[in-house]
Amino acid sequence: MNLLNFLHLGALGFSLVGMVVLDARFRLFFFRAPARAGAVMVVGVAFFLLWDAAGIVHGIFLHGVSDMDSGLLLAPELPVEEVVFLTFLCYLTMNLYTGLSRLAQRRAARATPDGHRGTDA
Amino acid sequence: MTYGALILVFCTLALLPWALLPAATSGPERLRGRTAVVMLTTLIVLCVLTVVFDSLIISAGFVEYGAGALSGIRLWHAPVEDLSYVLAGVLLLPGLWRGLEDPRRARDHLAMLVSTSRPVSWVNTAYPFAAAYLLTEHRVDDLLVVGTIFFLIPYNLLMYGINDVFDHESDLLNPRKGGLEGALVDPSRHRGILVASVVCPVPFVLYLLFSGDVVDAVTLAVSLFAVVAYSVKGLRFKEKPGLDSATSATHFVSPMIYGLVLADATWTWSTVAVTLAFFVWGMASQAFGAVQDVRADRAAGLGSIATVVGSRRTVWAALCGYLAAGLLLLTSAWPGPLAAFLVLPYVVNLVPFLRIDDDSCETANRGWKRFLWINYVVGFAVTMLLIYSAWD
Repeated sequence: MNLLNFLHLGALGFSLVGMVVLDARFRLFFFRAPARAGAVMVVGVAFFLLWDAAGIVHGIFLHGVSDMDSGLLLAPELPVEEVVFLTFLCYLTMNLYTGLSRLAQRRAARATPDGHRGTDA
Repeated sequence: MTYGALILVFCTLALLPWALLPAATSGPERLRGRTAVVMLTTLIVLCVLTVVFDSLIISAGFVEYGAGALSGIRLWHAPVEDLSYVLAGVLLLPGLWRGLEDPRRARDHLAMLVSTSRPVSWVNTAYPFAAAYLLTEHRVDDLLVVGTIFFLIPYNLLMYGINDVFDHESDLLNPRKGGLEGALVDPSRHRGILVASVVCPVPFVLYLLFSGDVVDAVTLAVSLFAVVAYSVKGLRFKEKPGLDSATSATHFVSPMIYGLVLADATWTWSTVAVTLAFFVWGMASQAFGAVQDVRADRAAGLGSIATVVGSRRTVWAALCGYLAAGLLLLTSAWPGPLAAFLVLPYVVNLVPFLRIDDDSCETANRGWKRFLWINYVVGFAVTMLLIYSAWD
């Protein structure tokens, strides 16, 4: 095992940190409603892991072997990289959703100069 | 099961927050339209990112797919099926985020749905399925887990959610509803209950349909038809004397038959006798349950086996049903005949009501409450017998 084994995990971790930075800067998800974000994240990751499990049971997903993987498996066919990826995917989805909601809301507020503010999505 | 079928199952599962949490879909129309646009934009951005990075990851050999699982359509290197992940994410996560905005409202609504689904009855439908499947298949697999969860909650939510909404007029006249035996719901919540009742079972039914053959599908369809036809407007089998008892019995027996069919059981006389005994027991129990409502049902203009033949004759018919179930069990293979003795508590439970008349029909409620508890004791005894028979 050498540094190359952690390239994939490192890239995912780096991306995840990027999501946290965006979240902190613009107060999008965890930095806006921590408990709610935590609940969404836990359910989201559990949902995708269940999907993975179903795919693995039915022989649809197979874990490819790559020099850039750590080789750490959380369950048969389930590498640790997958869990980090799913966390990143959920975080990215929610950052995008809340960020775009805010942009849409600002635009709507500008379009009605009386400044009617709708609830933030 | 193909990747496409799995995608359909999980994308419908991702819709559940929208069906179960009222805050997800509430708000002025203008804002809901904006949410849809934002979700669509999020989806497009994520799809572009997926095609680019999925292609890179697949080129690097991180992910492989089983032979024949994919449609073969690729966007650059990314299989088109992989876009379903972001689709499900965009459906699921914002739905949860919006739905949980007011935690108390979400909790209240979920508590109401749970009470609508009659937690006291969950085990009555999940257990027959799980026992039948497990004793035939002799192993725990995905179908056992999915089927048991389905018959535990979504199946009961579908049955009682439709029931409560379409029963509203008669329930208003019935002081018994609102506790252990039935939930009384405010008409303003009817839409939410109907949506949850109908959407919640969909992913489970799809999973079971994709995993089984045609016979399995027909069996499940009959079971679901009985659930809906019991109380839905236009069919209302619960108001057709005789059909009411048979449909109600189907609710509890069809999960067992489905478990046997799904596990490809061989139909010996013994299996048929046990199934018939369970069915007759279910008819007898439903008939007895209708006795306590005779006056309320008549006042509301509703029909049941008990309003047509009268309270006392219904109790006697139930008694005959229990005895017939016992006789059927005597003809089954060992240790089935032992289970014949388990009809005795039900027979004894009816004895105080053999001279009941329509004016005192409400007193049967005491017997109905005892019936609910007898079920747990007898259920335990049946479990012991099943374990004993599996030992051989």
